[in-house]
Amino acid sequence: MKKRLPLKISVSGVRGVVGDSLTPQLSASFAQAFGSYLGRGKVVVGQDARISGPMIKNAIYSGLLSVGCQPVDTGICPIPSIMVLTKEKKAIGGIAVTASHNPKDWNGLKFINGKGLYLNHSQVEEFLDIYHQGDFSLVKVDKYKTPTAEKNPTEPHLRKLLDYLNVDSIKRKRFTVVADCCNGAGAVLLPRFLDALGCRMILINTAVDGAFAHHPEPVPENLTKLCHTVKEKKADVGFIQDADADRLAIINEKGEQIGEELTLALAVKYILNKKPGSVVTNLSTTKAIDDIARESNGSVFRTKIGEINVVEGITSRKAVIGGEGNGGVILPEIHPCRDSFTAMGLTLEYMATSGKSISQLQEEIPKYFMIKDKVDGTSEQAFRIIRELKRKHANEQISTLDGLKINFDDAWVHIRPSNTEPIIRIVAEAKSQKEVEKILKKFKEEITGLLKWKS
Amino acid sequence: MKLLKIGISGVRGIVGETITPELVMNFASAFGTFINSQKVLLGRDTRVSGPMLHSAVISTLLSAGCDILDLGICPAPVLQYMVRRLKAKGAISISAGHNDSNWNALTFINQEGTYLNEYQGEELLDIYHLGKFRKVPSDRLGKVKLQKDYLDVYFKSLAQFLDSEITKKAEFKVVIDPCNGGGAGIVDSFCQYLNCELVPVNNEPSGYFPHDPEPRPRNATEVASIIKITKADVGFLLNSDVSRVSVVTEDGETLSEEYTFPMVAGYYLRKKPGTVITNHSTSRMIEDAADCYGCSVVKTKVGQTYSVQSMIDEGAVMAGEGSGGLAIREFQPAFDGFLTMGMILKMMAEKKNKISDIVKQLPKYHIVKEKIYCPPVKAHSIVSEVKKLYDTHEVNELDGIKVEKEDGWIHIRASATEPMIRIISESKSKETAQERLEKASNFISQSV
Repeated sequence: MKKRLPLKISVSGVRGVVGDSLTPQLSASFAQAFGSYLGRGKVVVGQDARISGPMIKNAIYSGLLSVGCQPVDTGICPIPSIMVLTKEKKAIGGIAVTASHNPKDWNGLKFINGKGLYLNHSQVEEFLDIYHQGDFSLVKVDKYKTPTAEKNPTEPHLRKLLDYLNVDSIKRKRFTVVADCCNGAGAVLLPRFLDALGCRMILINTAVDGAFAHHPEPVPENLTKLCHTVKEKKADVGFIQDADADRLAIINEKGEQIGEELTLALAVKYILNKKPGSVVTNLSTTKAIDDIARESNGSVFRTKIGEINVVEGITSRKAVIGGEGNGGVILPEIHPCRDSFTAMGLTLEYMATSGKSISQLQEEIPKYFMIKDKVDGTSEQAFRIIRELKRKHANEQISTLDGLKINFDDAWVHIRPSNTEPIIRIVAEAKSQKEVEKILKKFKEEITGLLKWKS
Repeated sequence: MKLLKIGISGVRGIVGETITPELVMNFASAFGTFINSQKVLLGRDTRVSGPMLHSAVISTLLSAGCDILDLGICPAPVLQYMVRRLKAKGAISISAGHNDSNWNALTFINQEGTYLNEYQGEELLDIYHLGKFRKVPSDRLGKVKLQKDYLDVYFKSLAQFLDSEITKKAEFKVVIDPCNGGGAGIVDSFCQYLNCELVPVNNEPSGYFPHDPEPRPRNATEVASIIKITKADVGFLLNSDVSRVSVVTEDGETLSEEYTFPMVAGYYLRKKPGTVITNHSTSRMIEDAADCYGCSVVKTKVGQTYSVQSMIDEGAVMAGEGSGGLAIREFQPAFDGFLTMGMILKMMAEKKNKISDIVKQLPKYHIVKEKIYCPPVKAHSIVSEVKKLYDTHEVNELDGIKVEKEDGWIHIRASATEPMIRIISESKSKETAQERLEKASNFISQSV
């Protein structure tokens, strides 16, 4: 198998390994290209809690200043807060220094436009052209600007959250919440947010020192301490954010993980109850979303994998809510980006207004079983295999928007090449564990068969 | 043409043309590699482009695994002094000294607090050209810390060296023009420590230079115009990293920067005789001053790197140049504008003389200078052509062409910082100095 390359330049920005591919020089060049692309003006620069944050941030400063931009520093700051601030400050753009859930030796740059959204495909293409051509708009000293720092960078985000949420009904419940910030940027805003919602809070892993207590992804194996604490403290709910605070996983009052797919499902159910409309999510997200939407006469639109695709779908469909099954809830009325705070707020509000516990709400969501698996394979192999599978299954209910998705009654399978690794991802979902295992086994065999045959 | 000067002590150029984040980062990476991921001090002047270079340097030093003590806006001599006090392995000074605000530069300083010497400089350039820079993984990245309270450490030590009681008692009134550069705001501390009343001119650390930050009569009009009105005792002009000083007398005479070094030397050598280092382009006044106390003068190439290194190597007591920069070995091996001002004030206090009287005691020379534009590729060959004008036995070729005469000298060399050939001619007679200058200038103009 090919080794994972230590640098990835894609629609979601640049990611690389510090001490290897992600150098100050590379970071500065990207900042110069970004500034050259946007023109001269304010650019919000924020970071998650990674140790390499200051190194990358200084490189970005230097790049931005050299092309006549004015960096506005947010320090360590949740990604959704950086995005909201970029829009509110009327900045021409923003750069978030983060590698999301990648291991701690990674870091990266994510590029935000003046509307506070990630650059879309065509914007990324234009911007990468400038980067590759190396044609940066260096300015003379008379056009230089002085960098500034934002004293309260999470304030506009917090205000939007509290304006939207039914704060009084949540406050009345005096919820006890256990939250694990995973030593990430979420810790900067979380205490104030939960305090404003009148919650009693027990916080774990809130030191933003870049030494992640566990792998910074809210997946089951990282949640044991949190589950234990929820039970022990008799809390109403447990929350865990990822390192840049855009995704959320939930623990019920019994100390059980409800599964990251349900974060979005709960939010969708609650929103559609309040305000019927369309939902946008990606092809690999649980079918429960379709069932929930059907109950309230809403419609679901599926997009390719990738936050920006979902966000663009939400905008073009004028959807009321959207998101991803990895715990990324997007509520356009607050801001069209994945936001763990929005997800938390909606969950608490749902609990408060329904008077039900989180485990009761969980029970009401149609039950599905999902398996996420992968097979080693280069992108060229993946391309050929998917082509073969498309031919073979052409008469079934398929979508070829992103790899191949085959819909069955009450089940589906989605096969696509990874954007970041030389692997083929297979996700399957069905009404029972047995059924999903059966589907997965069948398609894994088909793929390995094709792999052997082709090589 | 694009202006970029890469020398053994650093790199200098015009921001947005040659000074780019990439260039700065590559040099800082080379320096981080050169000093083996150890502790580095960082300081800058007030130039508007300062934050760009500053953040580029921080990023790359962290990436090379160096811990950084950031002194913020800090004059070069203070930074150089603190290198030893804070036991750092080196420092980077971000300042283009006397160049106008379009310029900026990195100067590399070793653990003794002096500019890198020739060998160190060449090693650094080798690393730079090789492009193999040290990059550490994220758990070994350096940390950056803001260093405070260092001004007190420096000024206490300076005041002690100057044995400042006599100066304090004199209660001088001093006009200082730091040109809104690295000395802005800091000259206030200097005056407090020496119990002087400060009349500040261009003392905002804004980086907007009201005139070129080069201490010389042409830039001294503001100081000269207020010195009599304020009844101040003396006036000083500083460059943007406070390594050079020129003097204005209490009656408003703007002295050539050539006076600064011989004036201080004449006072210091009497107390502490020893060898003096200067370059080939410095006024003969320094030789006369050294002669008075039987001290010898050793000449080096132009530049702080060479003269300070030579001061250390020769065991000389001081080094200085006609540009207004000087170092005293007993205090620190660095051109130091605060030390220079302090010495002049002390001399005034001790001698109970006005600055204008001190100047009168100096031998009179007439120095004329000219710069002729010349593409750098041709500069060195044209300079050696000029030899033809002189008898071979008169010519010294250590740094361009230097011809010594009974009454003076002429020095012709390619500039290290600009695409120019510089001619400096000095004589006891103004006419002779001018005549010699024109002869060389005509020859060079024709060759170009």
